[in-house]
Amino acid sequence: MAKKILIVDDDPDLVEAVTMILESKKYDVAAAYGGIEGLQKAKTENPDLIVLDVMMPDKDGYAVCKELKADPKLSQIPVLLLTAVVSKIATTRYTQQGGLETEADDYIDKPVEPEVLVKRIETLLAK
Amino acid sequence: MPNQAHILVIDDEQIMREGCSRILSKDGLAVVTAENGKQGLEEIQGHPETIDVILLDLMMPGMSGMEVLDQIRAIDPNLLVIVITGYATVESAVEAMKKGAYDFIPKPFTPDQLRIVVKRALERRTLQKEAEFLRKEREKSLRDIATEKSKIKTIINCMGDGVLVCDRDSCIVLSNPAASRMLKVHESSLIGNFLPQCNLHTELSNLIQESLTTKDKGYTSVSQELSMGDSGEIFLRAHTAPVRNDLGETLGSVTVLQDISHLKELDKMKSEFIAMVAHELRAPLAAVEQQLTVILNKMAGEITEKQEQLLGRAKERTKGLLTLIKDLLDLSKIEAGMMVQYKEPLRLQEVVQKVVDLMRAEAEAKKLDLQFTAPHTLPLINADRNSMEGIFTNLISNAIKYTPEGGKVWVDLVEEGEFVKATVSDTGIGIKKEDLPRIFDKFYRVKTVETRQIVGTGLGLSIVKSVVDAHLGFISVESEEGGGTTFTVLLPKGPIQTA
Repeated sequence: MAKKILIVDDDPDLVEAVTMILESKKYDVAAAYGGIEGLQKAKTENPDLIVLDVMMPDKDGYAVCKELKADPKLSQIPVLLLTAVVSKIATTRYTQQGGLETEADDYIDKPVEPEVLVKRIETLLAK
Repeated sequence: MPNQAHILVIDDEQIMREGCSRILSKDGLAVVTAENGKQGLEEIQGHPETIDVILLDLMMPGMSGMEVLDQIRAIDPNLLVIVITGYATVESAVEAMKKGAYDFIPKPFTPDQLRIVVKRALERRTLQKEAEFLRKEREKSLRDIATEKSKIKTIINCMGDGVLVCDRDSCIVLSNPAASRMLKVHESSLIGNFLPQCNLHTELSNLIQESLTTKDKGYTSVSQELSMGDSGEIFLRAHTAPVRNDLGETLGSVTVLQDISHLKELDKMKSEFIAMVAHELRAPLAAVEQQLTVILNKMAGEITEKQEQLLGRAKERTKGLLTLIKDLLDLSKIEAGMMVQYKEPLRLQEVVQKVVDLMRAEAEAKKLDLQFTAPHTLPLINADRNSMEGIFTNLISNAIKYTPEGGKVWVDLVEEGEFVKATVSDTGIGIKKEDLPRIFDKFYRVKTVETRQIVGTGLGLSIVKSVVDAHLGFISVESEEGGGTTFTVLLPKGPIQTA
């Protein structure tokens, strides 16, 4: 059975583009357009992996990630953070500052090359 | 003749008055005469400053010489009176001397005797005048100093910046109201107290103590930001400088405190603004690039070769814009001093090794020989890990970009004096002599046929330089057009003193 991936991003264009990449690799894709919707869909859609944007207006990716990891039913789902505003330097900065941020399983800068995204997802799913 | 000495002769005998006048006038003295005590006193009262010496006959009808003497003394005790005693009685001369006469001359006397006595009195008078002049000068200087002191005190007290002055025993000898206000310590518990007893901010105490005890002659001044208040909402900048004498011995230190809370607030707003703008710019660009990527990967159907070519170019352009935004963001962070806040002891060879490993794929794609050499042991440096990764990523990626296929890029670390020296060299296209001085400038890009196809923002090297500067290091470049380029970075061995 195809693995299901939940994409959480407030930018519909980006969601669409990532969806096309993942569908071309035969993944099932569910989409959420905000942090709160993302949390709901994480419960209802039962995804195998979540691709999570960081900067979202209603609830940012770090907060969503923290709630996911705090929920025993959801904590096992790997989370791949998709960061646009935070460059690599800033990503590490966040991990140094807070501690909560390290709970994501991997980071990736957007925009992303399809093969890089797929490779990271495969790695996380294989764990 | 302004310096001509004036002699007043008070005698009832005309022959005496005329005799004295004649003798003394010959010596260039101005002589005024009075025929009795009353007239003499009027003469003195008229202009006491101009009369230098008084010749006074003791035996006169009417007011006696003794009485006149008393009154002269009452007018000005400094007036020099020589009494003339008609019937040479030692008693009256002694009595006159007791009353304050300067000298006496018994009648009859020869012109020479008179000259000697008057000359002596005039010498005395000159000394008296000099002493008076000096006394006035001294008083004036003291007054000036007092004025100057109070002027400086007023200025210091009115200053908006806080001032703390310590002596070499770390006792506070001067402070102003602004300092008390900023430090929230009453002036009375500052002045006259030793640093450890003043309950000052620990970092501030240490800062002052350090400026007093350092043996380093190059140590001139230190600036440090202090966070004050219960919730750290007040920020002070303390600027401490040791005061040294000619021999280089520390005599004390002067600390100036500035309240920079509002600057911090502005800074925070600026950072937030930049982050917001950057996000607003980056997000749509990232979406566009993502869409282009999907089309280029033919995930939205087949495209023609020409379409692929055009879209590929479009993607390059969006990539360039994204890099520009990232660089601008980094630069504004560096300028706000936010980029290198996390200094820690670092093994530079580990950082560089990591970067080299990351860049290897890029180098191999261009068939470049990428090499890294470093000695087994190298001193630690005190640096921000991410910034170090940033500068070496930038330098090595530049070297790869500007070196044609089949070339060589090598990175080398060595210890050199007080520094760890890193060199990034390539066999690339090099840099023209006229471009060399400007390559660390913001937005400067070398424009040649070879560089036209290379995407860049012109900010990379200026960021590198800012980071190196923030670590108190040095960066230099050597290059020859067509003959390769070498960047040399010197980073001080840790731990670094904040300066």
